[in-house]
Amino acid sequence: MSTAQLPPQPNDSDRGASRGDGLPAHASPTYYEQPLLKKPHWEWSVITYLFLGGIMGGSGMLVMIADERPERDADLARSARYVAFALAAACPLVLISHLGRPERFLNMLRIVKFKSVMSMGVWGLIAYSGPSTLAAAAQLSRDGVLPKWIAALEPRPLMKLLQGLIGAFMAGYTGVLISATAIPLWGKGKRYIPAFSVCSGFAGACALNAAIVALTGSDRTRHKLERLELIASTAELVLLESFRRHAGSTGDPMFAGERGRRLRTYTQIGGIIGPALLGRLPFGGRAKTLLASALTLAGGYILRETLIESGKDSADDPRAASRQPE
Amino acid sequence: MANGFFTDTTLCIGCKACEVACKQWNQLPADGYEFSATSYDNTHELGGTTWRHVAFVEQAAPLDAPAADTKWLMMSDVCKHCTNAGCLEACPTGAIIRNEFEDVFIQPDICNGCGYCVPSCPFGVVDLIAPADYDAPRGFVSDGRTNDDATQHHGGIAGKCTLCYDRQKLGLTPACAKACPTESIQFGNVDELHARAKERVEALQARGVQAYLYGVDDNNTVGDLNAFFLLTDAPAAYNLPERPVLPSTRQRAGYTAAALTAAALALAGWAVLRSGD
Amino acid sequence: MPGLGASFGRGGATTFVQDLVNADCILIEGSNFAECHPVAFRFVMTAKERGATIIHVDPRYTRTSAAANLYAPIRSGTDIVFLGALINWVLTNERYFKEYVTAFTNAPYLVREDFQDTEDLDGLFSGWREAGTYDTSTWAFEMEEVPRFDGEGTVKVPMRDETLAHPRCVINVLRRHFSRYTPQMVEDVCGMPAATMEQIANLLADNSGRERTTAFAYAVGWTQHTVGVQYIRTAGILQTLLGNMGRPGGGIMALRGHANIQGATDIPTLYDLLPGYLPMPSTLRDEQTFAGYLKNATKPGWWSNAPKYITSLLKAYYGEAATPENDFCFEYLPQISGDYSVLPTQISMKDGNVKGYFVIGMNPASSGQNAELARAALERLEWMVVVDSYETETASFWRREGADPAKIGTEMFFLPCATVLEKDGTMVNTNRMLQFHDKAVQPAGDAKSDLYLIYQLGMRLKTLYANSTDPKDRPIRDLTWEYPHEDEHERQRGEPSAVKVLQEINGYKVEPGKRGYECEQVAAFADLKDDGSTACGAWIFSGVFPDKATNRARNRVKDDWTSLGWGFSWPANRRMLYNRASADPDGKPWSERKKYMYWDEEAKKWAGPDIPDFPATKDPRTPRKPGATGIDAHAGSDPFIMQPDGRMQIFAAGTLKDGPLPAHYEPMDSIVRNHVYGQQNNPALREFDRDDNRYNGPENPDFPYVLTTYRLTEHSGIMTRYVPWLAELQPALFVEIDPELAVLKGIKNGGWATIKTRVGEIEARALVSGRMRPLRLGKGQRVHQIGIPYNYGTLGYTSGDVVGDLIPLAMDPNVSIHEAKTLTCDIRPGRRASYGRTDVDAAVPVSQHTTAGESHAHGVDHGGDRG
Ligand SMILES: Nc1nc2c(c(=O)[nH]1)N[C@H]1C(S)=C(S)[C@@H](COP(=O)(O)OP(=O)(O)OC[C@H]3O[C@@H](n4cnc5c(=O)[nH]c(N)nc54)[C@H](O)[C@@H]3O)O[C@H]1N2
Ligand SMILES: Nc1nc2c(c(=O)[nH]1)N[C@H]1C(S)=C(S)[C@@H](COP(=O)(O)OP(=O)(O)OC[C@H]3O[C@@H](n4cnc5c(=O)[nH]c(N)nc54)[C@H](O)[C@@H]3O)O[C@H]1N2
Ligand code: SF4
Ligand code: SF4
Ligand code: SF4
Ligand code: SF4
Ligand code: SF4
Ligand SMILES: [Mo]
Repeated sequence: MSTAQLPPQPNDSDRGASRGDGLPAHASPTYYEQPLLKKPHWEWSVITYLFLGGIMGGSGMLVMIADERPERDADLARSARYVAFALAAACPLVLISHLGRPERFLNMLRIVKFKSVMSMGVWGLIAYSGPSTLAAAAQLSRDGVLPKWIAALEPRPLMKLLQGLIGAFMAGYTGVLISATAIPLWGKGKRYIPAFSVCSGFAGACALNAAIVALTGSDRTRHKLERLELIASTAELVLLESFRRHAGSTGDPMFAGERGRRLRTYTQIGGIIGPALLGRLPFGGRAKTLLASALTLAGGYILRETLIESGKDSADDPRAASRQPE
Repeated sequence: MANGFFTDTTLCIGCKACEVACKQWNQLPADGYEFSATSYDNTHELGGTTWRHVAFVEQAAPLDAPAADTKWLMMSDVCKHCTNAGCLEACPTGAIIRNEFEDVFIQPDICNGCGYCVPSCPFGVVDLIAPADYDAPRGFVSDGRTNDDATQHHGGIAGKCTLCYDRQKLGLTPACAKACPTESIQFGNVDELHARAKERVEALQARGVQAYLYGVDDNNTVGDLNAFFLLTDAPAAYNLPERPVLPSTRQRAGYTAAALTAAALALAGWAVLRSGD
Repeated sequence: MPGLGASFGRGGATTFVQDLVNADCILIEGSNFAECHPVAFRFVMTAKERGATIIHVDPRYTRTSAAANLYAPIRSGTDIVFLGALINWVLTNERYFKEYVTAFTNAPYLVREDFQDTEDLDGLFSGWREAGTYDTSTWAFEMEEVPRFDGEGTVKVPMRDETLAHPRCVINVLRRHFSRYTPQMVEDVCGMPAATMEQIANLLADNSGRERTTAFAYAVGWTQHTVGVQYIRTAGILQTLLGNMGRPGGGIMALRGHANIQGATDIPTLYDLLPGYLPMPSTLRDEQTFAGYLKNATKPGWWSNAPKYITSLLKAYYGEAATPENDFCFEYLPQISGDYSVLPTQISMKDGNVKGYFVIGMNPASSGQNAELARAALERLEWMVVVDSYETETASFWRREGADPAKIGTEMFFLPCATVLEKDGTMVNTNRMLQFHDKAVQPAGDAKSDLYLIYQLGMRLKTLYANSTDPKDRPIRDLTWEYPHEDEHERQRGEPSAVKVLQEINGYKVEPGKRGYECEQVAAFADLKDDGSTACGAWIFSGVFPDKATNRARNRVKDDWTSLGWGFSWPANRRMLYNRASADPDGKPWSERKKYMYWDEEAKKWAGPDIPDFPATKDPRTPRKPGATGIDAHAGSDPFIMQPDGRMQIFAAGTLKDGPLPAHYEPMDSIVRNHVYGQQNNPALREFDRDDNRYNGPENPDFPYVLTTYRLTEHSGIMTRYVPWLAELQPALFVEIDPELAVLKGIKNGGWATIKTRVGEIEARALVSGRMRPLRLGKGQRVHQIGIPYNYGTLGYTSGDVVGDLIPLAMDPNVSIHEAKTLTCDIRPGRRASYGRTDVDAAVPVSQHTTAGESHAHGVDHGGDRG
């Protein structure tokens, strides 16, 4: 018999559990190749939340920076306010659906905990819903749907500022939330993930609002949004690429194999380069914008999905889990 | 004063009394009846319904070496009750607390099953329990049924070693330590345990055993473990991380990166929107 | 356990587990101590922490080996060669404890001239009769006439040579007998490297003598062999030569099995014994009359008291009815006319010679040898009663795989039984310690305590025969059967009093007209009389209930050693037997370090932390009194009071059926020919060569691997298979094989494997592990040993095939123990072709017809990875 058939020996450089099943010894000691960490039980609901939260936050930022003079970005301000409000209403529902039992969402409100990114996120969401609701209401009254006096109540500059700041937080905290876990892949991306989450969220917001503006607003605003989106998604592309370099083999679950291919196809090419090229086309008009937006949004979703799913795989790799990134 | 465990793996005979005593005291369900063929370990890992787990590491001597060179390491794993506990920091509801014995305890009535503690434990200890296995009024459900079908964790809660909070409050030794026939699991004041453990290590090293403590004065962000171990092989051999990291230490970098990016984008946006056409 | 009895006088562990901490070395052989006695094993771990060397000799590297300092592999079934070689080594290197041996054993005695040893007869002793038994008359000593102690005439006593020079001295006979048991022989037969054997020899010798002691621990790894009793004899001789018996940190720790298995031999479930190790009257000896019985039962030494014990027992049984005139109803006792032990009964049941069967606290359908024969046998019964807490494989034999209920006539009664927490009672643990346990909760459902069931059965029989005049019914009518419960409600429930039963076991002073429980208790067995004035259910336990107020089985005062205040150990609460030997012939401790019992000059009595296993005030210098009755004949330096001459029997004169000295014989089924003698098996073993019980025989090429069976910590039997928390820990029957064999056979770790003998075929999941090591015997023969835990069955949260379905019935001649520890088998990847024997009447199990070839035809999955 070949000694390769024997379990690893105590004197071997690689100590550890033998499988005793006639398999050759493993490169570094693991416990029967079993996972060392537990993976998160996060499915579509959480992925969707990360996705929508980003757009919600991005829209808030757009509200803040929009120039409300009618001849300029009034149309953007309007759509961004409505989008922000709609998502601020939708996100809690998605979270609740994840908890299984709605009433349990209230447990989150027992405490404010700065150490817990999730607690911060929940309070951020609540904080965000205030201004965005008021702002949306005011917008409605300006648009003549609600009585005029409501608009008068809104301290607009302050609301814009709040929506912008909290929005930025909402777009970024989800990235912090996952990188502040024991999952090697996520830990490795502690700077990159929050950064490209913000970019992706902002890009998504630009895309969605561009689409709305395309249908309801001026070409001028639409083009400006396309330029903004280009800037954000280019940053996202650069960040993703440098994360891949930085992560090395720890990044494999995300960048290698089938999942890496998905990420490249749908997010990097389909969701970023594609729209950029579309933008360059001399023809197409609104339809082109609508298509580009759709691609960007899809890319954004795939990014979040890839992030979560590859995190689970990363948790299953005992070697990566043994020496956790600082 | 902190209470915890000193688990001395050189005294472990792998009888699994600790694992059973824990399930019995806490009325946890069995996790399934699958034969694993990984030595005598058929329960694999700690989890939502397995709070003590005995690992079996076989190191057989080659046939040309004496049979006596064969080693069979056994180690009873448990929640480490970290000084800086990732699970506790992550918990958004405050369900996870540090109790009067300075142990990390999950209040089942407050946990809402968000699952954030799960990936936040650097040791892969805590996990969600399916609703099928935990029923608020009755507590844990333990009829012969197992939870291996419990893939559906939504609506469940998180579960891990309580360090027998209930027993400690009654002045009782934790069930696992009580059941251990060889005092491989020693319960008590952590400082006293540290002292005892250090003597033990010296004694063993004097006998030529390469023994060391895991979870005491290792300079890492997790800090000392209230449940620490005496090991004779690499941590990874027992499925323990060589270098655990406290996840929250990454928050600062994360927030900063997010803030800078957002600011940059906002400025860029401001510029673009304000720029002439 | 006559293995110990023949050597030392009593069939029980000679020491107590707590004392193992005082050992300087512990040899664990024939036991998986850590896995099967985990709680007691703490004392081994303590000893190890205190610097003792722990040695484990076992065919498999187990959890015990992992905790030991030194593990040595051995081919199953060859321990006598290893131990014999140690004896030879100790003698030839003069490493034995000379003073101890000369003073305390029969080493100086001269063996009869006409005695012939295995050396002379190539594996047989003198007296072999072709009938298959020995005439043991030559296994005796040369006698000489000496004047009686009282000067009246002379008596015969064995001749001695205190110089140990005479060639026929026991010790020189021993030297010669074991001379061929060399380290090389160990390597060739046991597969243990000679160097390892010598390493162990040195460790034992270095840790024995005045200053140090070595303890031995064994269990059924040594007993379940057709030479089982002789394994224990060999160990006894070695421990005695090393001078470790009766001393702190020494002795032989016989680890008993079930929680109350010791109790079940003390008040026996064995067919040939009465309570307290009194022999059962037998038609094979002239014991038809009380006088005849007394003549045989009464022996020199302690057993001179036999008449007191049997008379008191009969008084306890038959009360008023038992009178001197009617020999205390001795005739009521059944007389045995043959071997009615479990296995032969199983056979004759299969042949339709048994009508009814009570199965109480046993599950032969899963734990029995040739278990299918056992199950099939149940089909021939008219009725069967199973008393158990679970519906066992035995209780459900009629609906087992392959059985046709329509064809089975056996009427089944299942009586649900209370578990230990649901009833009062006692258990006797491995320390011979009686401990009382109180009922904590009422039994679930309509479960009843065993005591209730037996008692009520008795009551019903009594009413049935109340008016009978037929003399044969008198035993039932005269039986004393009154144990009214102290508690009103329990009385109404019809529950008898376990306390009163224990009081009767302790014994009482008979008072005319009074019921047993109304009489005054006897304080100890010293009070028992042979005139019918005392009654006692089991003399060895006498003293546990010295007066109605004191139940010493309830004592719970512990200290860090002998803990005399905890429970009650027979005899007379002694913890260490033969402890007189812990002092030298003059009564002084052999050394300060190993001080235990010693003669206190001032107080003129024996002192120490234990109860002396010796007349408390007998001066060590008392000369022997030839002809005196009982132990008065012994000298003050004869520690083994149960033996006729007060000495350890290195040479067992005629007490065993298969030899006065141990000799190595191969198991019934062995992969090799006996390398030591021409004689292959134990000549006196009992075999049942028939179609439904076929042996693989020696060197059968179809069955080239050694098979052994054993337990797992995680399981005991049906009790654990029904506990989810235990079932999940070992969820399937598995077979342990070495990686080399796995590769050879293409068996995958975790896959299925099928194991086969001529008795049957079972399947199990494969656990390939380097802990199992192929051995190299003489002429470089490669031996693969296969191990299978036997705790599985068809019922429970986890189930598996029954290992007993592989094991043919074969018995040791002395105690009828089966040979479950060493077999031969074949193994192949994949699942079994067939299981269960469809045709009830067919004597031959179907699987026996199934050759490996056919099973291909049956389309067995040989990929082996159905798991
Ligand atoms: N958890 C648990 N504990 C138990 C029991 C149980 O079912 N479960 N059963 C109880 C009962 S009834 C009993 S009798 C005891 C038995 O206690 P043990 O005798 O200690 O248990 P076994 O596992 O039957 O056998 C012991 C060892 O004998 C080895 N062996 C086999 N053949 C030989 C041989 O020829 N020579 C030597 N030297 N070793 C050999 C086996 O490899 C095994 O490791 O355990 C008791 N304790
Ligand atoms: N192949 C192989 N076979 C073996 C052995 C081996 O080593 N290898 N070991 C042999 C040995 S040493 C032994 S002791 C036997 C054991 O053989 P068994 O004694 O037949 O096996 P157990 O499963 O222990 O059966 C005990 C039964 O008693 C029941 N019981 C428990 N408590 C009580 C009680 O208080 N009252 C009543 N009425 N029932 C109760 C349990 O539910 C269980 O069904 O197996 C023997 N068989
Ligand atoms: S080990 Fe994991 S679960 Fe236990 S306290 Fe530390 S972080 Fe929490
Ligand atoms: S699952 Fe429960 S314990 Fe874990 S973080 Fe969420 S609320 Fe806290
Ligand atoms: S302390 Fe209690 S809860 Fe924790 S492992 Fe031990 S028994 Fe289980
Ligand atoms: S109870 Fe003690 S000895 Fe048994 S497995 Fe657990 S730690 Fe090891
Ligand atoms: S089961 Fe009972 S007898 Fe066996 S080791 Fe445990 S405590 Fe001792
Ligand atoms: Mo047994």
